[in-house]
Order: sequence, then C-alpha cells, then structure tokens
Amino acid sequence: MYDTIGIWVGAFFTLAIYSFLYKENPIYRLAEHLVVGISSGYAMAVTYQITVKPRLIDPLLSGNHWILLIPGILGLLYITRFIPKISWLSRYPIGFYMGTAMGVSFPLIMKANVLRQLEGAMVPLYSSGMPWTEVLGNIVMILGTLAALIYFFFSKPHKGLFFGTGSKIGIWVIMLGFGATFGFTIMGRISLLIGRIQYLLGDWLHLIE
Amino acid sequence: MLNIDRRWIFLGIGIVSIVPFFINFGLPVTTTMEVESIFDYVNELGPDNAIFISFDFAPGTQAENMPMAVGVMRHAFHNDVPVFMTANYPLHHGMMLAAMEYVFNPTTVGFYQEVFFDDWRDLREAGVTGKYELIEAWENQGNQLPDGAMGWVFEGRDYAALGYAPVFNLVILGMTVSIETQYPVDAHGNSTGEMPMLREHKSLREIDLALTSSGSGACVWWVTYAREKIGLPIAFGLTAVMATDYFPYLQSGQVIGQMGGLRGAAEYEVLLTENGITPTTDKAFTGMDVQSAAHILIILLIIMGNIAFFAGGFHKKTLLKGGS
Repeated sequence: MYDTIGIWVGAFFTLAIYSFLYKENPIYRLAEHLVVGISSGYAMAVTYQITVKPRLIDPLLSGNHWILLIPGILGLLYITRFIPKISWLSRYPIGFYMGTAMGVSFPLIMKANVLRQLEGAMVPLYSSGMPWTEVLGNIVMILGTLAALIYFFFSKPHKGLFFGTGSKIGIWVIMLGFGATFGFTIMGRISLLIGRIQYLLGDWLHLIE
Repeated sequence: MLNIDRRWIFLGIGIVSIVPFFINFGLPVTTTMEVESIFDYVNELGPDNAIFISFDFAPGTQAENMPMAVGVMRHAFHNDVPVFMTANYPLHHGMMLAAMEYVFNPTTVGFYQEVFFDDWRDLREAGVTGKYELIEAWENQGNQLPDGAMGWVFEGRDYAALGYAPVFNLVILGMTVSIETQYPVDAHGNSTGEMPMLREHKSLREIDLALTSSGSGACVWWVTYAREKIGLPIAFGLTAVMATDYFPYLQSGQVIGQMGGLRGAAEYEVLLTENGITPTTDKAFTGMDVQSAAHILIILLIIMGNIAFFAGGFHKKTLLKGGS
C-alpha cells in the first residue's frame, strides 16, 4: 500500500518537473521547492540518526566518553553564527577544521593529482616490442599535453613556430576534449531521462518489465 | 529551422526515448577494456578477500550510478566476496539502502536472500562464521533458499552496510588504520566489532578493492586518501558527464578501471550475464537501445541545424532567439 502511494507520488513529481519543458508553471515550482526542502530535511534526519545520536549523544549519556564533550562543544560553536554578539566564536571550529583538513590533505592531494599525473605523462615514445598503436597513442598524448600547456602559457605572444603553431595545435586538442565531454554529457542527460521513463513505464504504469 | 520551437525537439526526444522500450532493436553492447578490467579483477576475488562499494551519488544520477554499484555488488555476492558499503553524504546513504533493497528483493530476477545480523546470532555465538559452514548450519536449522534466489547473504559475514559518516575524506583516511573506529556501528545499529568480516578485515590495508560509484568529484577522495596512502586498488563508476575528466587517472594507473555512464553499467551487466553470474541483463542494458535512438536523433538535429545555419548565411545568426 505504502509502496503504491510512493510510486504515485514519485510519478506525479517526475511529470511535474518535466512539465517545465512545455513552460514554467506553479506545479513545477512546487516540485522544485519540495526537492530542496525534502533533501535538506532528509539529510538532517539521517545525520542526526546515524551520526549525532549514536556517536555523540548516546556515548555521552552513557557517562563514559566525556572526551566527546570537546568536539561536541566545538561543533556547537558553529551555531553562534546566528548570535551577532558572540558570532566570533564560530571561527574556532572553522579554523580547526580548515587547519586539520589542509594539513592532512595537502601532501596526498599533491601526490594524487599532480605528481602521479606528471608520472603518467612521462611515457616512452617507443621501446622494442611496443605495438604501433601504443606508440601512436603515446605520441598523441605527449604532443597533445604539451600543445595544450603552450596554449595556456600567456607570458609570451602566441607567434612563431613554437608558441604560434603549438598554441594552434593546443586549441584543437582542447576542442577535441570539449567534443568528447559534450558527447558524454548528452549520453548522461539521456541516461537520466531513460531512468525516469523506466520508472514511469515500468514501476508506475507496468507497461514494461 | 534555426528558430524552431525547442518544445518540438523535446517532443522528438521524448518519443524516441519511449518507442524503443516497446520495439526491442536488440542492438549489441560490446565491452571495453576499462570495464573488463574491473570485472576481471572482481572475478579473481573470493571469500578471503573483501571489497568496498561506496555509494557516492544522489537520486539525481541514480539512473547511471545505481546499475554500476548493483552490478559489482551482485558479482561480489556471487563469488562470496564480503562487501563493505559506505556513503559520503546523507542522501547517498539512502541510495545505499535502495541498492540493498533491490538486490535482496524477491521480485528482482536473480535476487539474493538476506539474513539479518540478529537472525544468525546463535550460530555466530557458537563460532560458526565461515561462509560455507554457516550456510550448512543455517540450512540445517530448517531454512530453505527461496525459489529464484541466487544464494544466501549474511549480514556481517557477506556485507556490512556502514553507510554515511561525516567528513568522508577523513573517514577514508581513518579507515586506513581501523574501520571499526570510524564505524563503531553500522547503518542498522549493529556493532561492527561483532561482525566476522570486520574481524577478518580490520582496515583498508586488508581490503582488495574500493569501487566508488560517484556522481561528483568526491570519487577522487578514494584515490587521494586510500590509493596514494596505502596503495588500495580503486575502480571508478562515474556519470557520463564526469567520465572524460577522470580518464587521466586510468591512464596514470591510479585506478584499475572505469565505468562511464549508463554505457559502462550496461557493459558490466553484459559481462555478468555472459559469465553466468546473473540470469539476465538489467536496467542499464535495457536502456541502451533508447540511448542509441536518442543519439541518432540528436546527431540528425545537429546536422540539420548546421545546414540551416550555413545555408542561411552567418549574418542570420542575429535573428536567432536571444539575439539582438
């Protein structure tokens, strides 16, 4: 019974959102606002149920984990943002979080997103036994990377063989990248539509399996 | 042509997205190396291994991300590989629960029969925790596998729904030392310390793979905080929109494979079916005919738009809607 009601509600709001394709209307607005409100409410409820209660409130009430008072109070200081006279207190949890996150993340982010990527771009153009497709792929990748980097080098005018031709090749490489991303984006958007149609035709109307 | 009412295009897309559901074209889905590498990797794992599936997507990208997570989950259950499930945001927690509901639902073709943590407490307390001896003891108690079920799945032995935890990047980092300290209880309130799979796999260092089915850049957290710190193999399941941005991680060897969009999920479903792991393909594969039809229409529209643009002369662009 509850499942059926849920499916009908889901179908109604799916159609309400798609009604925007015809033109903007109050039903669409209602659905849009409900998405925002329900998402926030759901997130709050889940956070309380599976984080705040079992990890902070319950251990504190059991009387054994007084150390949790420190992060608990630090977290509560966020709320002082709403009281202008003592809003400066909210800087402490923000500062603590930013400092910790930066310290922990910086070396790993550098390693994962810069050093490893540099390492990945340093491949041999040719070695014995390498299939020609891989040779070609490596040449395209290295030249493409260099050309795209030249395009974003603005300290020299884009003239001459190196900077001029390099930046022209670079813009083509970037355009090819945009083209691939555009193609994937279309595929993604159609996929989301397919998901909704499967829901409407299958779960709701039972016209397909 | 250039000023065609966009609602006609929406209508056209709507029609070509509905018709293929009733007229099955049966277009083939060929598999690619980046998806096969994930499949082959999971296929090599067994009961002594364990994997993480991170549900890092919201309902908005469920159509793409859910089949990927479900596919790998069913693959792991088939091979008796314990699965830890996490989520990096409260809404994603709901997606994890929805995936479990789908895989364990008797109306799903090739479902798995779930046994709740409390239901096999007596066997656990008697020291029966190995997968195969557990199945034997459970069935000796008079329990029978329902018709159509692919197998038993014991909570705490075969899967742990850890769920959402705040500041998830630091949670990943913490799990490199101990999973239990980050998740003292699972999403159902069960003590993780009592779970056999957690006793056997105490930290991410004892895990063999983490698949992040992701609709956001948070997928990189797994690479940054787990792959780079302890060398945990990572696999990406990404929305199509994200796919091109994350190919460099594949090229650099930081991830073992990548499923991109509905197409990637469909490829995994094909591999599962061809290898007898699932009886039939699932929703992602069904959607691929529609995807192809819609793509053909969009290609035609792009060609027609370009012809109209160039035939009309460049100066006509000022007549386009929105032009001055």
